[in-house]
Amino acid sequence: MFIHPTLFADTSGQILEEIAEQVTTKPEKILQGTEKMDGTQIAAMTIVGLAVVFAALLILVIFLYLSGGIFKKAGKQKKAEPVKAAPAPKSASAAAKPAAAKLPPKAPAPAAEDDSEVIAVIMAAIAAMGAADGKQYKLHSVRQVTRRGSGRSVWAQAGLNDATRPF
Amino acid sequence: MGGVIDFFTNTIQGLWEDSGIHALFADGGWKNLLMILISFVFMYLAIAKGFEPLLLLPISFGMLLTNLPMADLYHADLWQLVDGHVDYGKVLRDGGLLDILYLGVKLQVYPPLIFLGIGCMTDFSPLIANPKSFLLGAAAQGGIFFTFVVAGLLGFTAAEAGSIAIIGGADGPTAIYVSTRLLTGGGAITTGNIALAAYTYMALVPIIQPPIMRLMTTKKQRAVKMEQLRTVSKTEKIIFPIAVTIIVSLLVPSAAPLVGMLMFGNLLKESGVAARLIDTAQNALMNIITIFLGVSVGATTKADQIFSLKFGGVMLLGVIAFSLGTACGLLFGKIMYRVTGGKVNPLIGSAGVSAVPMAARISQKVGAETDPTNFLLMHAMGPNVAGVIGSAVAAGVLLSVIG
Repeated sequence: MFIHPTLFADTSGQILEEIAEQVTTKPEKILQGTEKMDGTQIAAMTIVGLAVVFAALLILVIFLYLSGGIFKKAGKQKKAEPVKAAPAPKSASAAAKPAAAKLPPKAPAPAAEDDSEVIAVIMAAIAAMGAADGKQYKLHSVRQVTRRGSGRSVWAQAGLNDATRPF
Repeated sequence: MGGVIDFFTNTIQGLWEDSGIHALFADGGWKNLLMILISFVFMYLAIAKGFEPLLLLPISFGMLLTNLPMADLYHADLWQLVDGHVDYGKVLRDGGLLDILYLGVKLQVYPPLIFLGIGCMTDFSPLIANPKSFLLGAAAQGGIFFTFVVAGLLGFTAAEAGSIAIIGGADGPTAIYVSTRLLTGGGAITTGNIALAAYTYMALVPIIQPPIMRLMTTKKQRAVKMEQLRTVSKTEKIIFPIAVTIIVSLLVPSAAPLVGMLMFGNLLKESGVAARLIDTAQNALMNIITIFLGVSVGATTKADQIFSLKFGGVMLLGVIAFSLGTACGLLFGKIMYRVTGGKVNPLIGSAGVSAVPMAARISQKVGAETDPTNFLLMHAMGPNVAGVIGSAVAAGVLLSVIG
């Protein structure tokens, strides 16, 4: 219990003593704390304890599945609407495509995220690297790396590695 | 002239007899000395080895303060039951500094407030996205109840066995909450004893868990990659703490202070409208409470009260409790692996012991050993935060059965 209103209604100055009583005079419990237990008591306590913990959390699992189901449905309905509006930005990406085509012929941008900006950034990084030791590099192709098994990009992988390396 | 010399020697003798040094070498003083040395060991572990320093350092310093003879910072005898209850008026009148701070432990104020701060820092979305995790959080509480069996068979009383068993919950505030209520003084075990064991082993989780995890799982099981978790909406995150509070408090009322405050903190966080309160709860308030809690819990390890073989017994049973919790979680993880046809990586089961986020990081680490591209961290966070709720429920059960 968080609050015992009756305690604070008392004005006779006995509040602390009564708190003491509330806290330490316990109602009759099944196991007496100061006594040693026999085998059946121990076994009963263990089984009851585990059962109650599982039951309580199982009820929470059921609740979460039920509420999760409702929210998933609601989420799908919401997602269905923005899809109609999606075609408009496509024309914008189409306009960007010719720019990508002007790049060296052997530089097919990754199909999924065809972005001339990304390629420009990669070229700039390489040029900067080359300038440092007086060499010039030519970018022939940019291909997306798919790592077998992980399905993550190198950058995502590096980020994850970084975030999950605590020791 | 003789009178002056007499006065002088008497005064010196009186001062000497009142000094702590004299008391250290008087009857039973060696016990204090030993406890002070033990406090140095824990200080060393906290400072040099980085074992949960935020808690072990205050606890071990409280241990030092309380065992300095004649300093009278803490009086174990004030906390003895008189006619079935503690005489709080006497504590307020005669108590030392640490007695007054210990009021917050004894009246069970500090642990729920710490839970408030933890709630502000915990993200329950991995659990909401994968409710099955709750079962792993429940299974790992097996460590509590099986340790209860071991302690009971070794001849500890029900209250002692319950207090030792709760160490297996791997949750410091919960362990303090339960043990301070069960251990009513006079016994050989104190709350400080339990807290020392709990925090030491929480720091040792990265050493205790991995061997058990490798032993109990096959390489194939450890390599299982789990489906990415769905994203959880804000509304769900807001409903979750409210619903958990209502459900758990109705089922196990004695767990309400812990779970209620945990969920209150989480609601503050997820609501997004109480930034100032969150800031205080998870920083200033939590730090203040941690200092009060640590130093006063450490003070309960007074030599004449605590020193016996049982101190070692508690430390030994504590590590058994942690290991059993890990094993139970893994076992249930293996069951889920079977039932789901290999979709669940059993390694996330060991995260069901509630040491957040350490246990989940261990699952991640051991999983990545087998396959570096496997990321279990978020999957393991589900059982991990479920373990916090699970151990609070287990605490409630212990408190309502043992009197």
